[in-house]
Amino acid sequence: MTPIIEFRKFSAWYGDAPSLQEVTLQVPPHEILGVIGPAGGGKTTLLRSLNRMNDFEPRFRCEGDVLFHGLDLYRQPVDVAVLRRKMGMVFAVPVPLPGSILQNLELGPRLDGRSGGMDGRIETCLKAAYLWDEVKDRLDLAAQSLSGGQQQRLCLARSLMLQPEVLLLDEPCSGLDPISTAKIEEALQLLKKDLTVILVTNNVMQASRVADRTAFFLQGKLVEWGPTQQIFVNPREKLTHDYISGRFG
Amino acid sequence: MIDMGDAHAEALPAPAGFGSRWIKIIAVAFTSLTGLACFVILAMVAIILGDIVIHGLPGISWEFLSAAPKAGMTEGGIFPAIFGTVALVLLMTLAVVPLGVAAAVYLQEYASQDSKLVSLVRLALQNLAGVPAIVFGLFGLGLFVEFAGGSIDALFFGGKLTFGQPCIFWASLTLAVLTLPTVVVATEESLRAVPRSYREAAYALGATRWQVVRYVVLPQSIGGILTGTILAISRGAGEVAPIMFTGAAYFLPHLPTKLNDQFMELGYHVYVMATQSPDVEATKPILYATVFVLLAVTFALNFAAVLIRSRIRRRLRST
Repeated sequence: MTPIIEFRKFSAWYGDAPSLQEVTLQVPPHEILGVIGPAGGGKTTLLRSLNRMNDFEPRFRCEGDVLFHGLDLYRQPVDVAVLRRKMGMVFAVPVPLPGSILQNLELGPRLDGRSGGMDGRIETCLKAAYLWDEVKDRLDLAAQSLSGGQQQRLCLARSLMLQPEVLLLDEPCSGLDPISTAKIEEALQLLKKDLTVILVTNNVMQASRVADRTAFFLQGKLVEWGPTQQIFVNPREKLTHDYISGRFG
Repeated sequence: MIDMGDAHAEALPAPAGFGSRWIKIIAVAFTSLTGLACFVILAMVAIILGDIVIHGLPGISWEFLSAAPKAGMTEGGIFPAIFGTVALVLLMTLAVVPLGVAAAVYLQEYASQDSKLVSLVRLALQNLAGVPAIVFGLFGLGLFVEFAGGSIDALFFGGKLTFGQPCIFWASLTLAVLTLPTVVVATEESLRAVPRSYREAAYALGATRWQVVRYVVLPQSIGGILTGTILAISRGAGEVAPIMFTGAAYFLPHLPTKLNDQFMELGYHVYVMATQSPDVEATKPILYATVFVLLAVTFALNFAAVLIRSRIRRRLRST
C-alpha cells in the first residue's frame, strides 16, 4: 500500500541541538503508528514537523523530506492552514478553548468559513470521541468545566470536526485516568477505518495495545520500527528490548 | 496560642556576636517603618479627599450642576465644563483604544520579537510615557492645531479657519497621544497573558494568524484592554496642560456641538479660577465644588468602564 506519510532522511534541529537525525519512516493509511521512546527522543518534533507546528519555533530548521500524499511539506508550496485541517492534532495537556463545548466544536469549521448545519456532525464526532453520552444535554456548558478526561475527548472531537485524514496525538492520555484512557483507545480503534493515526505515547503498553506499527526513538534516532507484534515480541535491537522491558526510560 | 518565638529561640540559638535582642529590635523597627509608610499614604488621601468633600460638598446644588458660570465665575454653575470633560474623555477613548490595541497586537502578535523595529517602538513608548504633560500640550498645538488643522483648512476649506484652531477634536487627540503608552502597555500585558497553548490549539485547527487574534487572543484579553482604557481615562480626565493650548476655553456661552468647537473642561476651569479670577476669595467655594465634581466625574467615568468590563467578563464566562 502506498504510504500516506513518508519521512526520508529527515533531520531537524532547534538551534544547534539536533532533535531528529536522518529519520526514514513510512506510515500506511488506515493504521495506527505508535511512537515510543524516552523524553527528548524527538517524538514530538516528528509529530509537529508533519503539521508544520514547528514553524513557530524561530530556531527550527530541517533537512530531508516529509511527504504527505507525495507532497513535500518543506520543499513544495503548502497552504499550512489547509494542511493543518487535514491533520488534526491533540496535545498532551487538554486545551479546551474558552467558551462552550459547542463553540469549541464549531471553531474549526468556522475558521474554514463554514457554519450552520453542523448538528449532525457534532453528534457524530462526539460519539466517535466517546463523549456524546456525557455531554449531549449540556453542549452550552463551558468546555473548561469538564473533567480532564472529558476535556481531552472534547479536543479529540474538535479535531475530528475538521474531517482530517490524519490524527496526530501527542501523549493524549498522559494525564488521564484509566477509564478515559480506555475510551480514547477504543475510539482510535474505530477511527482508523476513516483515518490514519500517529500516536506518540510515553506508555509502552498503550502502544502495544493499540498500534499496528510501532517506532522506537532514542535521542533523535529512529532505532527500530515495524509491526507492533514484532517490536514487542522479537525486537531486532537490544536497545528496543531494553526499553520496552522497562530497563531504562 | 503557643509562643513560637521562644520555641524557635530554643531550637535555633542566635549566632554568637550578634545579640538576638538586636535582631528583634531591627525587626520591630522595620515593621513599624513599613507600616508608617502605608499610614502616611492613607493619611494623605484622607486629608485631600476630606478637605475637598468638606469644602466642596456644600457648594453642590442642582443649579451648580446644570447652569453656566455667571458674574465672572463667582456665581452660577459649571455644566459646560462637566459636559466638555465628558465629551473630551469619550472622544479621547474613541481615538486611543483602537490605536493602542492595534499597536499592541502588532507588537505582540505580528512583529518578530527580536526585530529592531519592535525594540524601537517599545523604547518610543517608554519615552512617550515619560514626557511631561505640558510638552504634549505644545506638541498638540504644533502638530495637530497648526500643522494638521492648517493643512485641512488649506485643502478642504479654502483657507477659511475651521480646523486650524484649538478645538475639542485636537485636544482629545493630544490626550490620546498622552495616554497611548498606558493602553499599549496594558494591552500587550494582557495579550502576553493568553496561554501559548490556546494559540497552538487554534493554529492546529487551521487558523490563520489573523483568526487566532480574532477568535482566541482578543476575546481572552478584552478584560486587560478595558483595564488599560480605565487607566487612560483616569489619567486623561485629570490633565490640564495638554488641553490648554489645544482646545480648552476660559469661558464659553454655548456647549461644543461640532468637532472644531472649543470647550470648557473641569480641570482647566479649576486652573483658571485659581489663577486668573479677578476675585479669588469669591470663587473659592465654587473652586472647591468644581474640584469635587471633577473627582466625581473621573470616578463616574471609571466606574462606567469597570461596569462594562465586568459585564463583558460575565458574558464570556457564562457561555
